Amino acid sequence: MKKSIPTRIVSAVLMVLISVSVLFPLAWMAISGFKGKTEVLRTPFQFFPDMWNFDNYIQIAADPEFSRAMIITFVGAVIFTAFSLAINSAAAYAFARLDFAGKRFWFAVCITPMFIPMMAILLTSFMVVSQLGMLNTMAVLIIPGLASAAQMFFLRQFYLNFPVAIEEAALIDGASRWQIFTRIFLPQSVAPFVVMGLTAYMAYWNAYVWPILTITDPSLTQIMQFLGNFRSDRGNDWGLLMAGSMLAAIPTIVLVLIFQRFIVNGVRISGIK
Amino acid sequence: MIAPMVILLGIFVFWPLGNSVYLSLFKINFYQGSQFVGLQFYQYVLTEPRFWKSLWVGLYYAILTVPAGLIIALLLASFIKTLSKTAAAFMKTTVYVPAVVSTVVASVLFTFMYQDQGVVNWFLSLLNSGPIAWLNDPETALPAIAVPGLWLGFGITTLIMLAGLLDIPDSYYESADLDGAGYFKQTWYITIPLLKNVFLYLIVTGFSLSFQMIDLPLVMTKGGPVDATTTPNLYMFQTFTDMTPYATSFSLTAALLLFVVLGLISLGIFRLVNSDKAVDA
Repeated sequence: MKKSIPTRIVSAVLMVLISVSVLFPLAWMAISGFKGKTEVLRTPFQFFPDMWNFDNYIQIAADPEFSRAMIITFVGAVIFTAFSLAINSAAAYAFARLDFAGKRFWFAVCITPMFIPMMAILLTSFMVVSQLGMLNTMAVLIIPGLASAAQMFFLRQFYLNFPVAIEEAALIDGASRWQIFTRIFLPQSVAPFVVMGLTAYMAYWNAYVWPILTITDPSLTQIMQFLGNFRSDRGNDWGLLMAGSMLAAIPTIVLVLIFQRFIVNGVRISGIK
Repeated sequence: MIAPMVILLGIFVFWPLGNSVYLSLFKINFYQGSQFVGLQFYQYVLTEPRFWKSLWVGLYYAILTVPAGLIIALLLASFIKTLSKTAAAFMKTTVYVPAVVSTVVASVLFTFMYQDQGVVNWFLSLLNSGPIAWLNDPETALPAIAVPGLWLGFGITTLIMLAGLLDIPDSYYESADLDGAGYFKQTWYITIPLLKNVFLYLIVTGFSLSFQMIDLPLVMTKGGPVDATTTPNLYMFQTFTDMTPYATSFSLTAALLLFVVLGLISLGIFRLVNSDKAVDA
């Protein structure tokens, strides 16, 4: 059914209106980064800068604390994503395909954390990692969050929907469970891994409260921590802050744009209705 | 195979949880060793007005963000459903992008936008309305924070809503058309009842998440003018990082009480929305 012209025009107009309003704050952040110190917040108000200069962007990118934070957060995020996918997919596979004593019990154990609010364990988790001597290390940012009930649940849903026939053939051929997992399931897991991987990456990159509590060493400051502390450390240099925030947001935005196909279909992939 | 996960969860989730409950019964003193005081801290927390105020703030914030978020998501999802494949893909991505930007970036950005000479007040001036000190006025501070909260949230909500909408067979709408039902009747009688499961999921998770919001007020207002934006988690964070003695016990107890409150409210919502019809699989 071809849509009539007026309908298409209304659709197009709506699309533009929605996109503009939704993306406006981000655009504003980008534009403000181009303004000089005196232009950023001045009366009378001016939308666009007099002169588009890159000073803020260059200055923040050259700032050693900022770039260090970006790099170290990136390294941490990659390690975190890799390990978390490995651990959670192993558990997901086990729960989806294997049978063992106490399976139901352990599954309940692994799912329950999803319902525990962060605060109930935040404070005592802090005490735990403090006693383990993990404060001010990369480990404290990576290890505690690795086991994710939500991620495991999602992956398990996906594995449950996997056709059993291939596995049975492999079993007959004498493959071990572990081999089946690594050689058959894993290669097929691209789509859910992308979705969950992105989620994990973003969770690490965007983390704020935990880094604030556990990291006081300036050489390990995470990027969001840096931005959050910016105004108290350096005063209200808004242009610089906007430029920095833009640069901090760009990696995740780019990743989303690249993998958007997987994300928007993510709800389907798991078969959860 | 499940060993790594179980061990990690054991150390970093269950042990702290159990320890929380255990320690909340003690007067924690890092210098002299803790002293068992039973339920005394529970009493302190429950009689502290700031605790109740934070619960109220959390509730208010949830009321500001969850229903509006659902309505926006439903409208956006309905619109996207009508688009062609490429247009839909574009819109889905556009709507999802804000969700990806972190809470900190959103906080910093909106704080900037809410400045006296900032963009938001500029828009107001176009409407001949005076500048408002958004984050400094106790009346406007929490709604002001709710805006980035909404902005960050509606991406994923819309996607889930869209998936739910696409599950409704077109034939329902077609027969309704034949019977002469207009758009609103169709939405009321077909769309909304069939989206019940989706709504339920979104309301419960939405409420749970918004009630626990801490990043936005922490970065934007530090608890806001006169505690106007001190959400429950923020309150606990503040008491935990407080240097006064016994603050630790206090915050632990508060956290556990919050756990209970949240659980009760979520259960309540679940029962409420689920009351009449059985939940279809």
